[in-house]
Amino acid sequence: MRRNKSSHLELKKQMRLLPGHIVVGLWCLFTIGMLAWIAAASLSTSPEIMRGKTLQFETGLHFENYVKAWTANNISVFFMNSLLYASTAMVGSLLVSAPAAYVLARFVFKGNSTIRSSFVMAMSLPQIMIVLPLFFLTTKMGLTGSKFVLILIYIGMQVPYTTIFLISFFNNLSRGYEEAAAIDGCPPMKTFWTIMMPLAQPGIVTVGIFNFMSIWNEYFLSLIFAASEKNMSVGPGLKSVLTAMQYTGDWGGLFAAVVIVFTPTLLLFICLSKTIINGITAGGVKG
Amino acid sequence: MKQNKQIKQMIFCFLTPAVLFFLLVFLYPVVRTIAMSFFYVEGVSDATSTWQFIGLENYTTLMKTAIFRESIKNMLKIWLWGGLITMSISMLFAVILTSGAKFKEFYKAVIYIPNIINAVAISTMWMTAIFNKRFGFLHNFFAFFGSNLATTDYMSGSIKFWTLLVAFCFGSVGYYMLILMSGIERIPADIYEAATIDGASKPAQFRRITLPLLTSVIKNCIVFWTVGVVGFFVWSQMWSAPLSSELTTITPFVYMYNITFGTTGNADRNAAMGAAVGVLMAITVLFVFFAVNRLIKDEDVEF
Repeated sequence: MRRNKSSHLELKKQMRLLPGHIVVGLWCLFTIGMLAWIAAASLSTSPEIMRGKTLQFETGLHFENYVKAWTANNISVFFMNSLLYASTAMVGSLLVSAPAAYVLARFVFKGNSTIRSSFVMAMSLPQIMIVLPLFFLTTKMGLTGSKFVLILIYIGMQVPYTTIFLISFFNNLSRGYEEAAAIDGCPPMKTFWTIMMPLAQPGIVTVGIFNFMSIWNEYFLSLIFAASEKNMSVGPGLKSVLTAMQYTGDWGGLFAAVVIVFTPTLLLFICLSKTIINGITAGGVKG
Repeated sequence: MKQNKQIKQMIFCFLTPAVLFFLLVFLYPVVRTIAMSFFYVEGVSDATSTWQFIGLENYTTLMKTAIFRESIKNMLKIWLWGGLITMSISMLFAVILTSGAKFKEFYKAVIYIPNIINAVAISTMWMTAIFNKRFGFLHNFFAFFGSNLATTDYMSGSIKFWTLLVAFCFGSVGYYMLILMSGIERIPADIYEAATIDGASKPAQFRRITLPLLTSVIKNCIVFWTVGVVGFFVWSQMWSAPLSSELTTITPFVYMYNITFGTTGNADRNAAMGAAVGVLMAITVLFVFFAVNRLIKDEDVEF
């Protein structure tokens, strides 16, 4: 009886929220519908798409669009490049930032707050402010057209955000661990790598995912520093596929390329949406 | 004693890489960009010895350049209209989802999806699935109702700017909604309970409780939004494809790219002009940051 009443109350509450459900629901439907349409179009032929018959699959499912996109449209090259950039720069930025975040969170020393506030400022610096001198540096060192430059720049771009994000995670760890380790004679640096890093794992995983995704989706720096198609990441790469499409009219191949480009981040998000969403509001809210 | 020395060593070893990256990727470039904006520099990679000091001439020339002025106008339009649209929708959704709606986690995740997809991919989706004049959703939608809006080309003329803005705002809502939601969830529930007992209506509660207690969150949102709009690049490039830029959608960032890296014919190439654009944009962000902090007073409440 009681249970009935409470579920009745809940239903009443949701009915009162019905207009809200409709608005938000339609918004979500639109997003999902767009993704579904693109997925359907990636399996249709170009004439079918042009005649507006994308969802009918009159001639069956055309998986060859994906083969075409992967090989002829060069998506394989862009995909592998992005995978390389995103994974190496993610690991690199964590290796550089986690130790820095740890000492910034744990110890009082001269310059601590200066470093923190410089990093916070760097996070909202427009990219146009830094790209010209970086371009000058790479040409001067003769590194234009090498993948290494982009990896280095990506690591550098992620350092301020990653450090600031991780500071709060190390702040929340108890000092007891280090004290115990010090009594056992464990040197502080070893304590960090063997005890503190594993303890900060949730934060490290979250910020690692963020860095992976933002490098995967990065456009401008790749456009400037890739120099040629063989170093391009998926963003500028997909744009060149789009430009080529104006001449070939291969819509199916274009949509297959779009799906290939967004699948990795979408999969990551579907599997880890809770971690990601909590991370945005935990460390993402700057200042 | 030994412990102390080891800790000093650790602080040095652990900070050096991060600080070096910061100096190389942020500090050095910023200083050099500012300096460069006062010189005449033909190519981006020219040595410092070939720079010619010209004072503020880059800035005055920029102000007189019609395309640059147009790009500033577009940026302001995106900032103001886009900001109003995005913030109001984000606020509406945040309020709906924090008032006990079911499926909250699902809604949150789906609304955030556009943020995790590559901007080139998502803008291609908008340009085809929604705005294509032959098979896009808008065309089919208006054709279904027999409206002659179905024959509009959504990707040309002055409509182009607004379709760009709609697509951009649609994707931005998720991020700001999450930030506002976390702000609202930090407000203690008993404040609302007390207000309900006192007979305050929901809209009154929103105006009198939610909004005032969210001022610092909203201030952050305005600053983030400004940073985002200043960095408006890929969407503008996508909307002007196959051209590299177009007057209706050009932004300062795109303009800077064109004059320093662009292949579009430009007789008077001056890389330092791009640096001046960068400095102006950084000043814009700083200006908004200070203006927002001056104009909007924080309610000093701690929960």
